[in-house]
Amino acid sequence: MGNSLTSLRLKSVRNLVILIIVWEIVGRMDWIAGGALPGLSEILTRLWIDRGDYPGHIWATVYASGLGFLIGNVLAIAAGIAFVLSPTLLRLMRGVNIAIFALPPIAIAPILVLTLSGMAPRVTLAALGVYFVTMSATVIGLSQYDTRSADLVRAYGGGNWLILKLVRIRGAIPDILSGLRIAAPNAVLGAILAEFGGGGRWGLGTYLLGSLGRGDPARLWGIGLVATLIAGLSYAIFAVISSRISGSTRSVTLNTAIPSSHGENAYGRSIQALILCGTITLPFVLWWAFIKLTGVPDLIAKTPHGVFEYLFLNDTSAIARGKLLAALGQTLPIAALGMIAGLAFAFLLAISSRMFPGFIKGFMPVALVTQTMPLVALTPLLVLILGRGYSVTLWITISVTFFPAFVLLVQGIQRVPQSVLDLPRAYGASAWTEMRMVSIPAALPYLFAATRLTVPRALLGVMIAEWLATGTGLGNLLNRSRGYLDYGMIWTVAAVSVLLSVAIYYLVLIVERRTLVRLGMQNVE
Amino acid sequence: MPRQPAGISLRSVGKTYRGRGKTVEALKDMNLECAPGSFTALIGPSGCGKSTAMRVALGLEGFDSGEVLISGQTPGQATAGGVTGVAFQDAALLPWRSVAKNVALPLEVLGRDVSKFSAEIAQLIDLVGLKGYENALPGELSGGMRQRVSIARSLITSPEVLFMDEPFGALDQIRRRQMNVELQRIWSETKSTALLVTHGIDEAIFLADQVVVMHADPGRVVDIIDVPFARPRHPDLFSNPEFHALTDRIAKVLHGE
Repeated sequence: MGNSLTSLRLKSVRNLVILIIVWEIVGRMDWIAGGALPGLSEILTRLWIDRGDYPGHIWATVYASGLGFLIGNVLAIAAGIAFVLSPTLLRLMRGVNIAIFALPPIAIAPILVLTLSGMAPRVTLAALGVYFVTMSATVIGLSQYDTRSADLVRAYGGGNWLILKLVRIRGAIPDILSGLRIAAPNAVLGAILAEFGGGGRWGLGTYLLGSLGRGDPARLWGIGLVATLIAGLSYAIFAVISSRISGSTRSVTLNTAIPSSHGENAYGRSIQALILCGTITLPFVLWWAFIKLTGVPDLIAKTPHGVFEYLFLNDTSAIARGKLLAALGQTLPIAALGMIAGLAFAFLLAISSRMFPGFIKGFMPVALVTQTMPLVALTPLLVLILGRGYSVTLWITISVTFFPAFVLLVQGIQRVPQSVLDLPRAYGASAWTEMRMVSIPAALPYLFAATRLTVPRALLGVMIAEWLATGTGLGNLLNRSRGYLDYGMIWTVAAVSVLLSVAIYYLVLIVERRTLVRLGMQNVE
Repeated sequence: MPRQPAGISLRSVGKTYRGRGKTVEALKDMNLECAPGSFTALIGPSGCGKSTAMRVALGLEGFDSGEVLISGQTPGQATAGGVTGVAFQDAALLPWRSVAKNVALPLEVLGRDVSKFSAEIAQLIDLVGLKGYENALPGELSGGMRQRVSIARSLITSPEVLFMDEPFGALDQIRRRQMNVELQRIWSETKSTALLVTHGIDEAIFLADQVVVMHADPGRVVDIIDVPFARPRHPDLFSNPEFHALTDRIAKVLHGE
């Protein structure tokens, strides 16, 4: 065991060394797109020359993402606890939660810049980036407690509050920590995106934007590496903490009982309808309240009604609608294509992972690292390599959907007990038969979950590429509207992209429920 | 401290689960009297309601008809007053708490000052043979050791009534015998009223003064058999011919012959 671990480590180090050498040679020789990929030494040299610039930018980004991380997580954990205590509240807030999950940060960055000032847009976007992940981790952690321990507390006369205090909160800590781990890079991404759309002097996003026109690949790569390093470090910190703690928290025996969800059908039809109404209207109410609270003039900040007016009632509405539809016509097909390709690729690779376990072992760390890469920092680099055509959009979309889907699918397949996999083998089944009978059906629920979860990412990826590279679609419309001070359009694009994302999410959910019910399977949250 | 161990009394208790289109009579006209200081074993096939009877007596579940008294009080009063102790089929230890802190959990739930009980905690850990493991985490213990922690935990409130739901169900036969012997020793020192829910006939006979046999559908008591063997009982009893005769008798009742 120890030996194979050491040899695995040695192999990883060897692979890394080979990678760096190849990178260096390719870079020095300017083999890729005429020098778009500089050698590592060139990037490091550039970093050294620019060393005076970095501290200010790094500090601004770390400060904004750190503060946003803190605020977002405090809210998320409090909300998670409240949702677990009151299922009705959870149902009422479902619309808001899904909207926050689905909103492409790039679309609302300009809005935040319009309505808030100073560091506030960056902090808000970072906080929005972490909220959903941590909130759902908290809810899951608090819901999956050991019913036997809860029985024990109750057997001594303890009530719900004592169960929450003694059993559930402590038991949820590993889940919350893994939520924080995934959320940390999101905060960095959020802060950088807001810097992008928000002006200001400092921040890695600002620095990147300012360096785009200089035609110096080494500097762009340097900024990308630094941003990735910050995001990766924030991920690593929580990974270490959670591995320390989860050792003492993992239940020592298997609990077979699942806590029942109370209150799902506790109400009559009319009250259920009322809750549904609340669920749908609440996001719009919050939107309206946000504008009223910030006190930004109507001209700049559009309420839901303002957006409706802009799109349907004004003299210029027809033109605005035309622009919007044209942009959607460019964005949606490529987002769909990229998503399908990314998911298909992930699915194929994941179901064949049982056949090439060695490959997966080597590939998983790479997949995990890319998860922490701030997308914005990566895009200019891809533009350098792939140019400004559609292929760059496609590749970005594929990569943002592929990696999370792949990780989710592999984890899903790994949950299949070994004995179930061994059974077809024991009857002499071929690898293909085994895959057809076990791996593919086992991976199917996770494919749906991955589809739902990657929709906003795909949209975000396409819009970033459009903004920075291709000059088409929704991303470009957003960018141009900023230039023209077309506030109505900025709000419209933000609202439409969120609505679209939510709509696709539910569409997948419906197809998923139907399919899985037909196959007699459970869907994965 | 002079104590008067109290009894358990279930009188004509009925409980029905209403499922989709089908109702299950979990308990029908269930009568159970456990004299103060006695040891009762509740035995029966899966689904006969023996665990339900215990959960009703603990106030974990309600019942539809009849009367339940624990030491003269309702289950809710008795549990909140610290009259009862409980050990479940699974040790159900909190994985992040040390052995000593797991043992102290009932005290915390009852709102007592844990620091005043450190001597009792140490004494109980010693009683179940885990001296030196006070600060160990459950994950570092074997299954048998964890089960002993749960026994110690069930005794920390000096309960007048002790409930055990298949406390050794997860252990292998050999370890189970060992724990039976130890449980007898521990119980004889506490003088509490004990109710043990079990699948094992030999375990029931070895430990109990009376064995209550239940049948399923509807869940009901079909026979109560007194166990005549003198205490303390020695492990040799397991190979005693009279022991086997009684085992056969209970087995016949159990299988409805």
